[in-house]
Amino acid sequence: MGGSSKRATLVKRAGLGLLAVALLVIPLFSSDFTMTMIIRYMYYGLLTISFGFLAGELGLFSLMTPVSLTLTGYTIGLCQTKFDIPFIPSIFLAFLVSMSFAALCGWMADRSQGVSFLMLTLVFSQLVYSLALQWTSMTNGTTGLLGIRFPDALEIFSENTKVNHYYWTLLIFGLTIFLVYRLITSSYGLRLRGIKNSETRMAALGYHTGLLKWSAFMVSSLISSIAGVLFVYNTGMINPEIMTLNSSNQALISSILGGVDSVLLGSIVGTVINRTLELTLGSLTRRYATIVGALFLAIILLMPEGLISIAKKLVYGKDGRPGRPVGGTVQGQSAEAGDGAGGTGAGLRCVTPGGSPEEALASGGPGDVVSSNDTEGTEEKGGKMRR
Amino acid sequence: MIYLSTFLNGLTIAGYLFLMALGLNLSFGLMNIVNMSHGTMYLAGGFIGWTVLTKTGSWFLGLLSAGAAMGVFAFLEDLFFLRRARGNMTMETLITLSVSIIGADLIVGIFSGRTRQVKIPKLLQGAFPVGDFYFPKYNLFIILFAVFFGLIFWYVLKRTKIGMIIRAGVDDQEIVSTLGIDIKLLFSAIFTLSGILAGMAGMIGGTFQNLVSGQDSSVMVYTLLIVIIGGMGSFEGAIFGSLIIGMAFTFGSLLAPQFSQFFLFAPVAIVLVFSPRGIFGKGR
Amino acid sequence: MKKNTAKVAAMILAAAMVCGACGGGAADKGGAADTTAAAQDTQKAQDPQGAQDGAPETETEKAEGAGEEKAKPAEKIKVGITVPYSGFVANLGENAVNGALLGIKMEGREEDMELLIEDTKCEAELAVTKCSKLKEQDGCLFIMGSVTGFEGDAQADWLKKNSDVIFLPSYSATQDMTMRDFSPNMIRAGWTADQVMFNFGEYIAKEVGYKKIISIGADYSYPWGQAAGFARGFMENGGEEIKYIWYPEGNLDFSSIMTQVSSMAGDYDAVFLNDGGSPIVAFWKAWEQYGLNNKFGQIIGGTNVADTNVLSEVSDGFVGVLSASFYSDGDENAANQAFRKAFIDEYGYEPDAVAVQSYDTIRCIIRGLDAVGWDTSDQQAIIDAICALEVTDSPRGSFYFDEYHNAVQNVYVKEVVMTDEGTMANVIKKTYEDVSQFGPYEAYKEQYMQFAEDARDYPYTTKDAYMEDLRKVMGDEYVDALEADGGWKH
Repeated sequence: MGGSSKRATLVKRAGLGLLAVALLVIPLFSSDFTMTMIIRYMYYGLLTISFGFLAGELGLFSLMTPVSLTLTGYTIGLCQTKFDIPFIPSIFLAFLVSMSFAALCGWMADRSQGVSFLMLTLVFSQLVYSLALQWTSMTNGTTGLLGIRFPDALEIFSENTKVNHYYWTLLIFGLTIFLVYRLITSSYGLRLRGIKNSETRMAALGYHTGLLKWSAFMVSSLISSIAGVLFVYNTGMINPEIMTLNSSNQALISSILGGVDSVLLGSIVGTVINRTLELTLGSLTRRYATIVGALFLAIILLMPEGLISIAKKLVYGKDGRPGRPVGGTVQGQSAEAGDGAGGTGAGLRCVTPGGSPEEALASGGPGDVVSSNDTEGTEEKGGKMRR
Repeated sequence: MIYLSTFLNGLTIAGYLFLMALGLNLSFGLMNIVNMSHGTMYLAGGFIGWTVLTKTGSWFLGLLSAGAAMGVFAFLEDLFFLRRARGNMTMETLITLSVSIIGADLIVGIFSGRTRQVKIPKLLQGAFPVGDFYFPKYNLFIILFAVFFGLIFWYVLKRTKIGMIIRAGVDDQEIVSTLGIDIKLLFSAIFTLSGILAGMAGMIGGTFQNLVSGQDSSVMVYTLLIVIIGGMGSFEGAIFGSLIIGMAFTFGSLLAPQFSQFFLFAPVAIVLVFSPRGIFGKGR
Repeated sequence: MKKNTAKVAAMILAAAMVCGACGGGAADKGGAADTTAAAQDTQKAQDPQGAQDGAPETETEKAEGAGEEKAKPAEKIKVGITVPYSGFVANLGENAVNGALLGIKMEGREEDMELLIEDTKCEAELAVTKCSKLKEQDGCLFIMGSVTGFEGDAQADWLKKNSDVIFLPSYSATQDMTMRDFSPNMIRAGWTADQVMFNFGEYIAKEVGYKKIISIGADYSYPWGQAAGFARGFMENGGEEIKYIWYPEGNLDFSSIMTQVSSMAGDYDAVFLNDGGSPIVAFWKAWEQYGLNNKFGQIIGGTNVADTNVLSEVSDGFVGVLSASFYSDGDENAANQAFRKAFIDEYGYEPDAVAVQSYDTIRCIIRGLDAVGWDTSDQQAIIDAICALEVTDSPRGSFYFDEYHNAVQNVYVKEVVMTDEGTMANVIKKTYEDVSQFGPYEAYKEQYMQFAEDARDYPYTTKDAYMEDLRKVMGDEYVDALEADGGWKH
């Protein structure tokens, strides 16, 4: 751990402190719209983190991240608009519903990988989508549920509704981020990344990998459910739109723009960029989607570690990563995991499912991955890499 | 009688979705790509075919040019983008996803967002009476076309040397490369072929249902359903998958139109709970 | 390898630039109000007429309209418009924007008014966020809403939390926006889905004489509203039964529905198609393919069924389709002819009802501002001024506002005919004048609002169930009178 690492810690702490202070004082002198935007970054940011948690920690790309958000939203909406259930029980019920569904779907995390997982989650998200769309007596179809309001009793931060919403959202967002950070840097996070690198090895070491994967799926769904609470009270509505393939793709795009392996920082940076482009480009050009798509393509091809890698290069020097102990043992990664970005630094390249245990062991840790441009090298391994 | 008619309708839908699923399945089986831009090729092919049809008046020329144009498109996509990520299936899938996002937007930009009707060729207009009902000639054409392609593919895959190589490639790519076959070329050829199929399916399906922007993603989802339920990379899976989806679609619309979408996804989800690899899928 | 990377980067950049340029070009064509020579001519030709027709509205405006000096705002008034401007319903958004731009131009207010276009991507959450942006960042006092129903509903809900803007919904036609969920700062120079269908139901029952109808429609709020309005008119004037078939929104495969309808051929008189846009074109193709045109008479349709963008794509067999709307493209009044000519000259394609509505809305804003001397300090005064307007030179004829701020206007029963040029167009078969959103229940507003909200399975579809519900809500007196008269009196 050389000087660059110390400097990095300092920069990071200073940056984080400044950011926190800035977020706290923003309502005092900024326009309402800045708050609207930041609130939006926060609920979509949590959605991206929900995606990024599975993708970055386990290498599983899910297309059903918005499902928990939607289930939470609909439950809260129905409780308030149809059944007149008070605030606290309705929140409780909402989490119960969304987490029960997640618990049922969690088996997918263990029984499939890679593209197969992507497809399974697509089917289940479409299933919930079609139910939300067509069970009109409950869900009101495309219009969805409207007029969902934050209880007046919780106006404790400010008389101004917007400022009050802002601080509540910030509080919940901050707490969630903190918990996810603790989870990633704990031995639990370490085990998940161990599974990502070599499931066989982790199983051989005596870990119950199936249970670990299922629990990661639950954590991801929980983050998405929290995003759902923030979404539904800030926008006042919930409709099936949020669950379309396009919407799932937005979480995926945000995550990859920022950097898949950087679960927290990458997701937030990616969300901010993606959603800012959405708001600003939309007024300037009709071909908004083309530009975002081209940017997405460029990131995948040229910068698989995401935009966050630029920032890392600035902080850590040319290498773009903190000093890393030699050897790829499970314990060895802890220093790196403490990095907050919590990534193995391998970006998309490491996501390839499978890879025989020998390979994973021989590769000497997550850093040593075959460069994707090195076609000959990958071709040789092609047969083993696909599963 | 009403059920016979609905059954025939289901066959029709299964027919043009089968053309889509065949291409998607081939590229998945061999290259491990879930080509998310397959739906975009469908719609782009349809619009190109429609343009040729309105300019020249020949539907069959439109069909050929739709296939050819999308073949070229697929070839270029493979050459410029996919080859850079060969071997990393998640990355390849994401590349095709970004291509689909760009493609969907450009289709709206180039062909405007308006609905286009592709006129059915004179030869295929009209309908046969089936009991009290009519069955359109064009629907029969779709079914025959799909069966024709299915047979060709079956023959090539199971009875010829190329087919053996492809099947060997699906099972183990290393063997194929040790045989001295240029695997890059083989991949390119297969991906181009799947593009051609998608383009032609676009023209055929576009004539059946009209061309509507936004349809790329719905057709994509249906095709994925077929591939998922049938088993990724399996030829038999593509056949059975398209039959199941086609029938679920038409019978769902007949018996409970207000829940048709739900009844389309529910059986697929149930099958997947018991067999996450699909009906004909191979082990993990 | 580095070279490769650079190549890819260059390629993508180039692609992005080309696309950007394409997009920019398209936007310019539709967006910027470049004054070409031809367009200037039309403007000159239209201006005097606009002043003449607009003159009798209010005293102040008469003075200002006739004189050369117009009241000027201190700075450009910003009007925000939120529409799907990218993605696959972009053409609807484009029509709305073009209608509004033409409105500003025809009123000669390009100097004083600026249209801020925000793209909603047809997503309700984004539509609401864009409203916040327009209000909070750009400081717009006027916001024009989006074109689709669910976006409009979401925006109406947003409006309840934001009383400091004047919101003018666009084509979204949910009736409760200006009825049960009335917001004082919302003004709709448009229509409700029910409003245009009450009299159409009556027309079909009384003048065409159908008794039993199959209604095939998309399963969301706008077709529900249309079906509800139609059912009330139909049932109360002699109709006996409506059989509903609902398909998912955006459905393009009608083969199962054709099979089902085909089996009901003897039992029902006609099919009422209740949707708009691309499903109509797909429906019509299947209808002819499956030979249903031989089993049934001509279909009847909801408001958007015989729209110009549908007519350009369907076969000639579509001639004879009856539908009803607040606007008819074949209306021969001078204002409509002038509007259509100006629109085609400016943008190169035929305007639809969305463009008309947007055009009227922006002109209402301008005339409302005229009435208060372009002083934007008093929001309530502007709202009152707009609601007091009577617009007599609209392409749809004339309209004014009711106390819930929804337009009271003519409803036209239209029929598709073949013109001499060999294209299809609508002609007006019958005009019902000054229909409000309450339609025939103008005298029973309170009771009408006691009805349950329009839904997939409400109002009831058989005569007995319907009449029972009607008796419960409207009272015996109303129903008895209805039965004695055999329907509505005019």
